[in-house]
Amino acid sequence: MESFGRALREKGLAYLIVGPFAIVLAFPFYVMFITAFKNQTEFYNPEVTPYWFGKDSPTWANATFLFENTQYPRWLANTAIVGLCVVAITLVLALPAGYALARLAGRVGQSLGVGIFLTYLVPPTLLFIPLFWVITQVNLQNSIWSLVLVYPSFTVPFSTWLLMGFFKTIPKELEDAALVDGASRIKTLTRVVFPISLPGILTVVIFSFSLVVNEFVYAFTFISPSENKMVSTGVYTDLIRGDLPEWGAIMVAALIPSIPLALLYNMFLDRFIAGFTGGAFR
Amino acid sequence: MASSDDPSRREGRYDRRELIRRAGVGAASVGFAPSFYGPLRFKDRWLKGDLSLITWAHFVPAFDVWLDKTWAVQWGQKNDVDVKVDHILNTLLTARSQAEAAAKNGHDIFFNLSPQPQFEDDVINHNEIVQEVTRKVGKIGRIAHKASYNPRTKKYFGFSDNFVPDPVIWRHDLWNGIGLSPNTWDSVRKAAPKLKAIGHPIGIGQSAELDSNMALCSFLMCFGVFIQDEKHRVTIKSKRAVEALKFMADIYQRGETDEIFGWDPAGNNNFVYSGKGSMIFNAISATRTPEDRGLPFANDLWIWPIPRGPYGRMGYQHVMGSWWIWKFANNKAAAKKFLADLEINYQDAFMASKFYNFPSFPGAMSFSRIRKAVATDRHRPIGKYGVLTTIAQKYTTNPGHPGYANAAFGEMFNKFIIPKMFAQVSQKKMTAQEAVNAADREIKAIYRKWRALKKI
Repeated sequence: MESFGRALREKGLAYLIVGPFAIVLAFPFYVMFITAFKNQTEFYNPEVTPYWFGKDSPTWANATFLFENTQYPRWLANTAIVGLCVVAITLVLALPAGYALARLAGRVGQSLGVGIFLTYLVPPTLLFIPLFWVITQVNLQNSIWSLVLVYPSFTVPFSTWLLMGFFKTIPKELEDAALVDGASRIKTLTRVVFPISLPGILTVVIFSFSLVVNEFVYAFTFISPSENKMVSTGVYTDLIRGDLPEWGAIMVAALIPSIPLALLYNMFLDRFIAGFTGGAFR
Repeated sequence: MASSDDPSRREGRYDRRELIRRAGVGAASVGFAPSFYGPLRFKDRWLKGDLSLITWAHFVPAFDVWLDKTWAVQWGQKNDVDVKVDHILNTLLTARSQAEAAAKNGHDIFFNLSPQPQFEDDVINHNEIVQEVTRKVGKIGRIAHKASYNPRTKKYFGFSDNFVPDPVIWRHDLWNGIGLSPNTWDSVRKAAPKLKAIGHPIGIGQSAELDSNMALCSFLMCFGVFIQDEKHRVTIKSKRAVEALKFMADIYQRGETDEIFGWDPAGNNNFVYSGKGSMIFNAISATRTPEDRGLPFANDLWIWPIPRGPYGRMGYQHVMGSWWIWKFANNKAAAKKFLADLEINYQDAFMASKFYNFPSFPGAMSFSRIRKAVATDRHRPIGKYGVLTTIAQKYTTNPGHPGYANAAFGEMFNKFIIPKMFAQVSQKKMTAQEAVNAADREIKAIYRKWRALKKI
């Protein structure tokens, strides 16, 4: 009984601390959800906005408008295609690069790792004009493949740096044992190192995909036809007309991709944290 | 020789002859398909050229439908050109145009909501288009001329098809309740604290965005303050400017809320739509939306000219539509004809925009015809849009008045120096004199740069 009371006190205290944070962080999603199904005349009624529905809500009208009057399904498809391609390219490049920097280059690897990470810090607002020139030179303007070409420029450096830290946490003895048993370097990687590194790899997958979904500057600069836009640019450029935002449709458009991303993060939360903190002490 | 029962064919592999045969059938299908499946893309012919243009997502969706699906298509059929129209949010146009100019690649025709003389070296001389439209409908309007022509280089750096009058939009019911109207700036100053006290402050933006910029530059002109003179010398540093800043700071401190410092172009619209705002400066989007959405106060939204100040009543337009054709455009001939024809037939554009876009060439649709068209609007109070013609004719001038909208003025405008100057005083970060001095220094530096480049 006493131990139950102590557990309750401890958990209660934890919830007391975490609860307010959770409410504050969840509030924008709550507003997004309410607004997505709200009648558009009620957006401007302070009595029911933003906390609850008015008498003409909930309604599917905003979702209907989004799917029938915009290219939203195309934006979703474009985002998914670019996201998957970029994740694949990132893994192909960052996995060997991260491993090489962690294992093979010693102190040079450390410096190179930091150098590669620094390139991630150069903001797209500085790069979008020169990169737009590059995209026109390879004749990829207004194509989603321009984004597949450019996005790895910021996903690969970060992922390499992250994986480098993660690979350092894996005991080198494991690889030595595999090599002694006759495995080649490649086999050691695929059979021993990568399976252990799954949390790090998952982190790279989720993080790279999130970066692609959120990116705006390149997507906006390189692509102007509506049917080729990504969700991030299509919502912003096609659902705000002059000085009139289509609030309901915007919220539906934001709600839909946020659900799978939220589920993905929750499913792999422990591994995600492990991935980020894997190399923290090395 | 592969026969029909050849296993290799069943597996989807063909010998060379079969491949050629199938390719021939495919090519013939493509060639003859239009004969069987309908007409060619345009009657009796394939298109000879492409034309791409980018413009804003117009606040009147019907205008974009008309532009994309009626005007561009019909013009394309008539001229044998495939016209592709892209739309983006107006606040993103500048960044996009900078990227296209830097890369020397992009759309043939570009549109922005204010003149962009800084691109003068990157665009063609649009004089030919102006001359063509002049031949058909008469002279270019004064506002459009001064907003798109550089007298120093004798070049039209853009082609203006329309401008949008910028009225004051106010809640008649609320103002009536306090026994005042926004006829003069003194009335506005008197009314502001009373309206705020009843929970309906006025909303003149002081933020780094287009609406604030236009409204505050117009406010300065009512107080006899101009950014530049006829010879493009900076003239903002004056006692009148100091007085004007103090006046506006007083309006803010007693009659507005601090949200005006954080607005984007939709900020003042939302302020009115929420039922809270009692007066804003905006184009008629701010009245059309409440009408379309049946907001309860839609009939109480009145439209008037800018309030009269100590030196009269004068304002910029809300939007100064400006198209330009890049030097790198692939189809300059089609681009020129597209713009000329658009303006020559502007009455359709005016109606499609629900009276938003006024033609830059008065002959394209005369004010008397506009007045008649506007009179057909049945929204209450009946005839409220009639005042737009008066505003357009009597109280609207070009950015840069009394000079031209030159590159230096454009840079000053794009850097939002004027809203920043007002906000510094309203927020008590600077005195009015200090803010005017700071703005004067910043603006003069910009003018020196462009004078050295021989653009002004």
